[in-house]
Amino acid sequence: MENGKVRIGFYALTSCYGCQLQFAMMDEILQLLPHAEIVCWYMIERNSYEEEPVDIAFIEGSVSTEEEVELVKKIRENAKIVVAVGSCAVHGGVQSWEKDKPLEELWKTVYGDGKVKFEPKMAEPVSKYIKVDYNIYGCPPEKKDFLYAIGTFLVGSWPEDIDYPVCLECRLNGYPCVLIEKGEPCLGPITRAGCDARCPNYGIACIGCRGAIGYDVAWFDSLARVFKEKGLTKEEILERMKIFNAHNPKLEEMVEKIFQEVKE
Amino acid sequence: MRYVKLPKENTHAFLERLKEWGRLYAPVKISEKFYDFREIDDVRKVEFNYNRTIMPPKKFFFLPREKLFEFNLAKAEYKEVIEDVEPFVLFGVHACDIFGLKVLDTVYLDELPDKYYKVRREKGIIIGISCMPDDYCFCNLRETDFADDGFDLFLHELPDGWLVRVGTPTGHRIVDKNIKLFEEVTTEDICNFREFENRRSKAFKYHEDWSNLRYLLELEMEHPMWEEQADICLACGNCNTTCPTCRCYEVQDIVNLDGNTGYRERRWDSCQFRSHGLVAGNHNFRPTKKDRFRNRYLCKNSYNEKLGVSYCVGCGRCTYFCPAGISFVRNLRTIMGLEERSCPPELSEEIPKRGFAYASEVRGEDL
Repeated sequence: MENGKVRIGFYALTSCYGCQLQFAMMDEILQLLPHAEIVCWYMIERNSYEEEPVDIAFIEGSVSTEEEVELVKKIRENAKIVVAVGSCAVHGGVQSWEKDKPLEELWKTVYGDGKVKFEPKMAEPVSKYIKVDYNIYGCPPEKKDFLYAIGTFLVGSWPEDIDYPVCLECRLNGYPCVLIEKGEPCLGPITRAGCDARCPNYGIACIGCRGAIGYDVAWFDSLARVFKEKGLTKEEILERMKIFNAHNPKLEEMVEKIFQEVKE
Repeated sequence: MRYVKLPKENTHAFLERLKEWGRLYAPVKISEKFYDFREIDDVRKVEFNYNRTIMPPKKFFFLPREKLFEFNLAKAEYKEVIEDVEPFVLFGVHACDIFGLKVLDTVYLDELPDKYYKVRREKGIIIGISCMPDDYCFCNLRETDFADDGFDLFLHELPDGWLVRVGTPTGHRIVDKNIKLFEEVTTEDICNFREFENRRSKAFKYHEDWSNLRYLLELEMEHPMWEEQADICLACGNCNTTCPTCRCYEVQDIVNLDGNTGYRERRWDSCQFRSHGLVAGNHNFRPTKKDRFRNRYLCKNSYNEKLGVSYCVGCGRCTYFCPAGISFVRNLRTIMGLEERSCPPELSEEIPKRGFAYASEVRGEDL
């Protein structure tokens, strides 16, 4: 910190820029400005410096090019705290959904024979390349997620991680349970809360955009069993659970376990 | 106790009059299959024969999410935020849920009263209603199927109206102010009340003695049921959030972007979540899903010595609203030897390790 101001940087990798837009549109930023110096944030500050040291670096987007690998390493070197922002940065995003297919095949599907100036890679979470200190989840994250994290950093404390499912907020709001009532494959039970059960509020089953809960408490196996009983195939279950969790190391093994049980 | 009769044709007029006592909340259908307590505008929408609401009445007294106080770090000050609660009427509360509130009272009113709970409890008028049990109900086994107190009025269904028990001075005032809506109770009404009660007590699925349950649960901490059922569990916490007596909460401080002011908020918590048992040093009292699963069974079946009942009031919500289809009653009956496979066939050579002192290894995890 210089002059008592927190130096903040917001960096974008491969993404839709929706996360920083969400942040940039918050009126509360005005409250923050007397206490912070925006060192790098192209969306709101033309005079941005990507290689300057910062206190807090927010990174949006998945690492999807060789150039981005170098960029995140540089950001890490220059930052005291690195925060991965949004599903792409935290979990690799929807662009990781088909990660098991060869990169060339995916590339051809999207770009055909088009030429680009960068070296493409399979989309990956930021944490694959550098140490990430804190995550802000969501596609895009909620405004209150930014408020909570930054507010807590400002007082020199550490924000808590979310380790409980969407179901909690769905009940706190008194919504009917989509999974029980409609039998739809709601991913609420394995997905990090924080969205205030936005989709179930409209009777829509959760697709897991905030990603699976960490700490080995996303019970893909138990939920796959429930889905299976409702008539879903293994492929359908995996496809749905992978939308935002393609890089989760436990997912396939846990779903597989449920379908092994039948054969016995 | 005072008894009056509310003729059926006066029911809606009575509900309309209740609005004079405060905002009226009652069970309504909120979706294809579920009911919940909601504010009532059109009294014709009130459901008298609902099975159970997804959210228990606790939500009116112990709010799902609530600001506790605001703070200012520079001034080192904090100010409690206690709302000016307007009186409100909660109509259509089943006996089990009235017991649920009584259980919460023993925790949140006795000894160290919770200010936020107390202010709402004092302003809430409770009107009970009789019910016919479905397959999920077991309040008879919990001895919470008939409320002696904890309500201002209690309406018992009659073929042509309601036999009303008056429980408090407020209840008397409500009746007196609307005396034209009420009649005297006749001999026929008493017969009908008795007939309803007899029919009701027969309608429960199980008629058995559960008095040894809480001890068997402690003795059977290593029963294979725990492993099997915990494996099915999604740890979504629905059983806790829909429970009328679950009362754990989590607090969080939210600091504004001025880096100085902020507020503390609490929200309902669930013992099925990892962080519920997480303490300093990254230690966890209940490190596995099985530990957490078992915890709820032990907590719900422990003895509330002030009321002489268990913490579970037999409403059936934790089973009815479990997305994984786990039956609380069946699991308890397994432990009591009332279901098949109650006693594990093989005896272990190892000396069984029973009780909390033998909790599985504390798991250190990356934070």
